[in-house]
Amino acid sequence: MIQLVFSIFLGAGLIALLYLFWMRERARPEGGAEALLNAQNALNKLKGGLLPTALIARVFAQDDLRFVATHSTLEVQKAFRKERKRLALFWIGQVRSQIVSLRKFHLGKSRFYARLSFATELRLAAAFSLLLGECRILQAMIYLRGPYAFPGFVGRTITGAARVCGVSERSIAYMSLSSSKIPGSGGTENQAAL
Amino acid sequence: MNFFARNLRVHEAAEDLRRRTLAQIGRPLDRLIYLASMRDYNTGLYYHDGLASKFGDDVACEAIAECHREAFHELVSLPLEVLVGQMESYMKTMQTAPSDFLAMWKGIEPYRVAVPVGADQLAIEFLFSNFRIALSILGERLHGRRPMEPGASLPQLPVQ
Repeated sequence: MIQLVFSIFLGAGLIALLYLFWMRERARPEGGAEALLNAQNALNKLKGGLLPTALIARVFAQDDLRFVATHSTLEVQKAFRKERKRLALFWIGQVRSQIVSLRKFHLGKSRFYARLSFATELRLAAAFSLLLGECRILQAMIYLRGPYAFPGFVGRTITGAARVCGVSERSIAYMSLSSSKIPGSGGTENQAAL
Repeated sequence: MNFFARNLRVHEAAEDLRRRTLAQIGRPLDRLIYLASMRDYNTGLYYHDGLASKFGDDVACEAIAECHREAFHELVSLPLEVLVGQMESYMKTMQTAPSDFLAMWKGIEPYRVAVPVGADQLAIEFLFSNFRIALSILGERLHGRRPMEPGASLPQLPVQ
């Protein structure tokens, strides 16, 4: 049994490596400016509207739940829970799609601008995959148990997304500078960030 | 006018608007509706004669837009309980019967046109959702429907 699990993990790891190589081979420098712009937009959306803790705290606020539970009929309480669930799923869906945009950029175009080592690229890819996995888990949890069941996991996802955004932002800021100067030079800052 | 000088003028105009006009409007909900009413729905530009004569059309427009965004964010950050209170007070200041007011707000959802341009979609959806719940609660209060006994239907809350 242990051998089977080990083989499955090994196989999955090899497939992930092959996928990464395939993405590296497929990537072309053309359209890099557009990809950089899209990545910047994804970062702005994440930082501006999807990750600010004040807004997310309000979406998942338990004082609103308590207020509705004590000041309205069952009908309104049901509508409230449905609305909050819809908002929570909308939020996590948006976070996920912006993270996917960022990952696409990092897997495809970033190495034409910044000299990232393969190990750094691998670590970044792993960070993205982990975060996307967390997003999927959170999505499933909210769908099954509603938005109030796992407050700790929401915080964890926000922290993870903010961390990946921070690394991504530093590399994009660096790339914006380097692409306007000498494309493809340096890159040690981004490697240090991971 | 260079970029920094213009920004300074916008900041000055926004301060003027806050001090002279918005300070008299206590509730963020009222401020949002007041500021949205200054916007031309065809162009998205804001007009305020007094401010424009003092600072110029462009600067006044930008200053009002800034205050509009501010009022929006203030409203989004309010707990639902406070929003319900604000809507109830706003409803009482209107010359309309509460039942008509609630029917109109539920029917044509006038708050949809009160959001500033460029506001984040999640924040907009959140505010609209809060408005819908607040209107339902006010509707129940108006029809004298009794809420559940305090805590009777309160679900098990997870430990923070």
